[in-house]
Amino acid sequence: MEENLTLDSKVKKKKMTKRRKKELIFIVVLLAYPLAQFLLTWIFVNSYSLILAFQRISLEGTATFAWFDNFEYVIKRLVNPELGAVVLKNGTKIPYNLMILINSLGFGAITIFISLPLALIASYFLNKKMPLANVFRFIFFLPNIISIVALVYAFKMQLDSNAGLIYHFLASFGVNINDSIWPNTTLIVFVYCIWAGIGYNVLLLSGAIGRVPQELFESAQMDGAGNFTQFTKIMIPMIWPTIVTLIVLGLTNILTLYLQPVLFGYDYTETIAGSIFEGVSSGLENQYPRFAAFGLLFSFVFAPMILWVRKVVSKKYSDTEC
Amino acid sequence: MTKRDSKRQTPLMKVGVTIAFIIFALYSLSLLFPFVWMLLNSFRSVGEWQESINFSDFWGLPEIWDFSNYTTILKEHNVLEMIFYSVILTVFGTIINVFFSACAAYVLAKYEFPCRKLIYAMAIFAMVVPVVGTLPAQVKFMEFLHLDDTVIGVLFLYSGAFGFNFILLYSAFSSISWSYAEAAQMDGGGHFTIFFKVMLPMCKGPIISCCILQAIALWNDYSTPFLFLNSHPTLAVGLQALQSEFIGQGGKYPLVFASMIISITPVIILYALFQKKIISNTVAGGLKG
Repeated sequence: MEENLTLDSKVKKKKMTKRRKKELIFIVVLLAYPLAQFLLTWIFVNSYSLILAFQRISLEGTATFAWFDNFEYVIKRLVNPELGAVVLKNGTKIPYNLMILINSLGFGAITIFISLPLALIASYFLNKKMPLANVFRFIFFLPNIISIVALVYAFKMQLDSNAGLIYHFLASFGVNINDSIWPNTTLIVFVYCIWAGIGYNVLLLSGAIGRVPQELFESAQMDGAGNFTQFTKIMIPMIWPTIVTLIVLGLTNILTLYLQPVLFGYDYTETIAGSIFEGVSSGLENQYPRFAAFGLLFSFVFAPMILWVRKVVSKKYSDTEC
Repeated sequence: MTKRDSKRQTPLMKVGVTIAFIIFALYSLSLLFPFVWMLLNSFRSVGEWQESINFSDFWGLPEIWDFSNYTTILKEHNVLEMIFYSVILTVFGTIINVFFSACAAYVLAKYEFPCRKLIYAMAIFAMVVPVVGTLPAQVKFMEFLHLDDTVIGVLFLYSGAFGFNFILLYSAFSSISWSYAEAAQMDGGGHFTIFFKVMLPMCKGPIISCCILQAIALWNDYSTPFLFLNSHPTLAVGLQALQSEFIGQGGKYPLVFASMIISITPVIILYALFQKKIISNTVAGGLKG
């Protein structure tokens, strides 16, 4: 009897192992390609980028160890205008890498301090029984589905000195758009980014506001809370996780935004990622280590900062979620 | 707006809503107008455009509606070839990206195995931590694999499974009860049968949404084909080159406008057909990200 039981459990165990084996084979088959692709394009490429940042590549293509020379070069161009600079109207020379850093920080700043507050206010009103609210949502989302090349071109055409509506509108007030002097060139791209980017923020925020229970606003109104109090004391805390997401996306722009300035093609609009993209696309292979060091240096500074900000801002109103 | 709703609004709020309505209407116009203007001017003959001097000339309707701009760019320039490459990369890029995202999401959401949590954490880490400057390494890596300037190379880059689609599908698979799989197992179904015949059809909605969003993103993608498929520009890449070419040829702007309209038409149609799905999934993706 006992022997039979042991035999049974052995058979069961064997069956279980067989079943587990089949399960593991299935897991391996389904995960093999995604993991291999991830290892190659993320882990390997990032590791290689780290190595590249410490290399020197000769014109013949020979790579040698360069210690911290590439980082030194990047930092020198950040502080020393003699190694490349943009000259302001008043003759002040701004080191080129510093200009790139200012541009990049500017893209982060406009997203957080201009686009986000504007989108917050817009979303608040959009949820206050605004007529045609769904039509507005439909239109606001358009920049997200249209090719950025077409969108930039549509915007640039309106700055054209012959046919551009914005150009002629501003010219009628005596304002001439100057697209060759820094920081004017970057300011134009900033305006474009606000114009094209605000709709996405409105959509995310108004979706979050829509999930806030209306009773909260009604009971606050009955307690005598005004619109401003409702906005600051109910709406913002309730949609805080979405706001945090948008703040983080805005901060990420410092490191990742590049396509808009590249497509505008104006002078002195480079960002951190943009200067690397343009350098690589122009095929300057012996400069690759400098671009790698350039990116690594700023990632090293800003990536932890972004994660830290995310942690800190998430703590505020951490007990609410909508 | 119902009477009850309007009664609930304070006078100050009514003023606020009215002002906001006007601002929204103007902003919406600013988004639509440049494209309507480009559409109209894409029917203006190149000769008429080049002869235009005054600002008002560019803002009136075309004197003669000339459809030849569209045939010219399709026949005389390699726009048809660009469309071909855009379609190939969009269709296959979307299929492989969503398929591999679904594979990874399903396994991580439904199976227990060693390193499961580590893989999930790695995928999230890669999405959250912005690393810049890896482009030179990526270019050299693709050259090393001889995948640069090939359709396969671009598709390889598009096939990354751990992006926003992974997050969306992970949450979709997590919400499906395992009892459906158990019922299929009782009927003798193996793991592959359960995945392909039970779980994937049950996730049809989120998968279709991912496909639509991915297709739009790939159709519009500029950087990857620009860097890794230089000899065969897609429409998004070619548009940038066409701009310089046409404008350099004495300002053939109507041809540029026509090519812009051709490039945005497919996505506008997709958007018009699936706008609710697109918007709700973008919102969900953004929030989960």
